[in-house]
Amino acid sequence: MGAPQKKIKVLLSKVGFDGHDRGVKIIATVLRDAGMEVVYLGKHQTSESIITAALQEDVEVIGISYLAGQHLNYTPQVVKMMKRSKLSKVLLVAGGVIPREDIPKLKEMGIAEVFPPGTPTSQIVNYIKGKVQPPKE
Amino acid sequence: MSSEIEKLTEAYLERVKRPKTWSGIPVKEMYTPDDVKGLDYQRDLGNAGDYPFTRGIYPDMYRGRFWTTREVCGFGTPADTNKWLKFQMGEGVGGLNVIFDLPSETGVDSDHPLAAGDVGLGGVAMCSIKDMDEMTEGIPLDKVSFSLISADPVTLAAYIAVAQNRGIDISTLMGTIQNEPLHSRYCAADPSCYPLDLSYKLAIDIIEYCARYVPRWVTGNVNLYNLRETGITAAQEIAFGFAFAIAHVDGALKRGLKIDEFANRRAFYCSAHIDFFEEIAKLRAARRMWAKIMKEKYHAQDPKSWKFRFAVHTAGSSLVYQQPLNNIIRVAYEALAAVLAGAQSLHACSFDEPVALPTKESQRIAVRTQQILAYETGVGNVVDPLGGSYYVETLTNKIEEEATRILGEIENMGGALEAIRTQWFDREIDAASIRYQKEVEGGERIMVGVNAFTVPAEEESPVGAHQIHPESAQLQIDKVKNLKATRDQNKVRLALEQLRQDSGKGESFNLMPAIIEALKAYATRSEILGTIREVYGYPYDPLGVVKSPFSTH
Repeated sequence: MGAPQKKIKVLLSKVGFDGHDRGVKIIATVLRDAGMEVVYLGKHQTSESIITAALQEDVEVIGISYLAGQHLNYTPQVVKMMKRSKLSKVLLVAGGVIPREDIPKLKEMGIAEVFPPGTPTSQIVNYIKGKVQPPKE
Repeated sequence: MSSEIEKLTEAYLERVKRPKTWSGIPVKEMYTPDDVKGLDYQRDLGNAGDYPFTRGIYPDMYRGRFWTTREVCGFGTPADTNKWLKFQMGEGVGGLNVIFDLPSETGVDSDHPLAAGDVGLGGVAMCSIKDMDEMTEGIPLDKVSFSLISADPVTLAAYIAVAQNRGIDISTLMGTIQNEPLHSRYCAADPSCYPLDLSYKLAIDIIEYCARYVPRWVTGNVNLYNLRETGITAAQEIAFGFAFAIAHVDGALKRGLKIDEFANRRAFYCSAHIDFFEEIAKLRAARRMWAKIMKEKYHAQDPKSWKFRFAVHTAGSSLVYQQPLNNIIRVAYEALAAVLAGAQSLHACSFDEPVALPTKESQRIAVRTQQILAYETGVGNVVDPLGGSYYVETLTNKIEEEATRILGEIENMGGALEAIRTQWFDREIDAASIRYQKEVEGGERIMVGVNAFTVPAEEESPVGAHQIHPESAQLQIDKVKNLKATRDQNKVRLALEQLRQDSGKGESFNLMPAIIEALKAYATRSEILGTIREVYGYPYDPLGVVKSPFSTH
C-alpha cells in the first residue's frame, strides 16, 4: 500500500466579460463527481485572478471556458503569466464554443487540450486522469 | 462486413425509445376525442383574434402580415455592424435586431482597462451616441422597426437621442428594447452589473418613459429564450418568464401607470426548441395563460393588453458542433414550429451558431429558411392549422397546467424578485442543466452527431468561421478615448451632475430624460451608469477598477 492519495485539484474559470457559464458549471459538477477537487472561480475573471488563485490553491489543472470568441485574445496572456509564475507544470485545458480551425492555434499557444461542445464529459475526466497524477499526501 | 450487417439489422428494427417530449412529458401513442372531452371551443380556444387567443392574436394572422424576419446581429465596431445590417436588408429581412458586446452589456466602455479582449465580441460595441449614430448610418429610423437586445437604459436612450438629433419625432419610432435585466444574471451577465433594486427601477423607467413619449415602442421583450437555453423545460420556460414579466407589470403599476397604458406594448422572446409539437403547444398555452393573467389578475380592459406577442429565437442549444450542416435541418423544423404557433417575429439560427459568428453564407441560409417557409410551403395561409388536433390540444393543456403550477409556486414564494433573492431560480436552473447533460450522456436523449450517428473528428469539415477584423477592437477603443479627450468636458460634467441629482430624487423619479441629455453631451455608457450606481450606493465601476472622472466626492 502506498501513501494515501490526495485528490487531483482543478481550477475552473471563465475569463473576461463573457458570462455564459452553463458549460463550465456542468464540468465542475462532473469533475467533483469523478473524485476531483474543483475550485470554480466564476464569471469576470482576469488572467491575473486565475493565476493568483492557481498559486494559492496549488492546483494541478487549470480549465478555461470560452464562448464568444475570446479564446485567441486571452489564452496568450494566461500562458505567459503561467510561465512567469512558474506554473508551467500545471495542465492547461480549454473548452467551449471554439471553431475547429482555432484548436491548433490554441495548442500552439500552450493549451494541452481543447474540448469543443458535445464532448462527452467522461472524455474530459479520462483525459485529466491520464495526464495528472494525484499529489502524494 | 458482419458488423455492417449487424448495424443494418439493428437499424431496421429501430423504433421510438423515449415516448416523452423533449421536456419529459410522457406521451401516448394516440390521442382521441376522449383526451379533449372537457374542451370548450369558445372558452378554451376561441377564433384567432378572440380571447383567450389560443389560436392567435390576430384574426387574419399571416394574411394580414407575415411574421417579421429579424436576425440577431452585432459584432465589432458600430461601422462593422452597420455594414452587416445593410447586407441583411439587401437579403430581405423585415426588421433589424442588434445585440451589444460583452463590455457594453456589463455597463462599461470599450476603453475599460479590462475590456480589450472582449470589445466587439458577443455583439457590437456601444458606448456613446457617436456609436449609435455610426451603427444606424443611412438607416431611416422613422421607417424601420429596430429591436435592441439590451438590458440597460443607455442603449435605448442613445437610439432616442440619435433620432432626435436627426430631427425625427420620437413618437413615430418603432421597435423593441429587450429591457429585461432580471433574467440577465442567469444568462451571461454577472449579477454585480445588475444590482436588483437599481436595474429593476431602470426597467420601469423605460416602460414609463415610452408609454408617455414613444408610444409605438415595445418596452420590454421578456426573455424566455435565454432561460430555456440553460436546459429548463418548456413549462419552466413559460413559468419563469411570466414570473419576470409579472414583476415588471407590478413595478409599472406601482409607479402609477394604468395597466392599459403599457400592457399593450409588452412582448416576449421565446425559444423554439427541437420537439416540434411540444413547442407549438407551449406557445399556444403561453398565449392563453397570458390573456387570462392580464384579464383576470390585472383586470386589463383593452383587448390589446391581453395579447401575448412573441418573437421566437430557434434554440441555439439544440444545435450541435458536430456535422454542423445538419443544423440547417434542425433550424428549419424549429422555424416551422414557430410559424405554426403564430409567432410575430422570428430569428432562425445560422447553422454555424454553435461554432462561431454567422458568415454571410450561413446568415443568408437562415433568412432563406424563413422565406421558403413564407413563400413556398403554404403554412401561412391558414391560421393555427393544428388547432383541434387531439394531441396538440392535450399537450397545450398539459403545459399550461404545469406552467401554472410552477408560476403559482413562485407567486407563493413572494414573486420573482423574492425567488431571485433566495436563489431559487439558480437551484432550479442548475438542476435542470445537469439533468439535461446526463440524459444526453446516458443516451436517453439522442442528439444526432453527438451521441449517435457520429463521424470521426478527422471527417468533420471546418465551417469557415467568421473572423472579426482583428483591428476592430483597437479602432473602437481609440475612438472612445478620442471622444473622451475632445468633447466639451464642462457640458459632460453639467449633464452628469443633473443625472446625479435626478438619481437622488427617489426610485419613482424617471431618469430617462437626464440619460438622454447626458448622451447628447457625449457622456458615455460607463459614465452614465456609474453616476447612477454611485447614488444608489454601488461602486462606479461594476468591476471595481475605474474611478469616476467626474465624481464630486
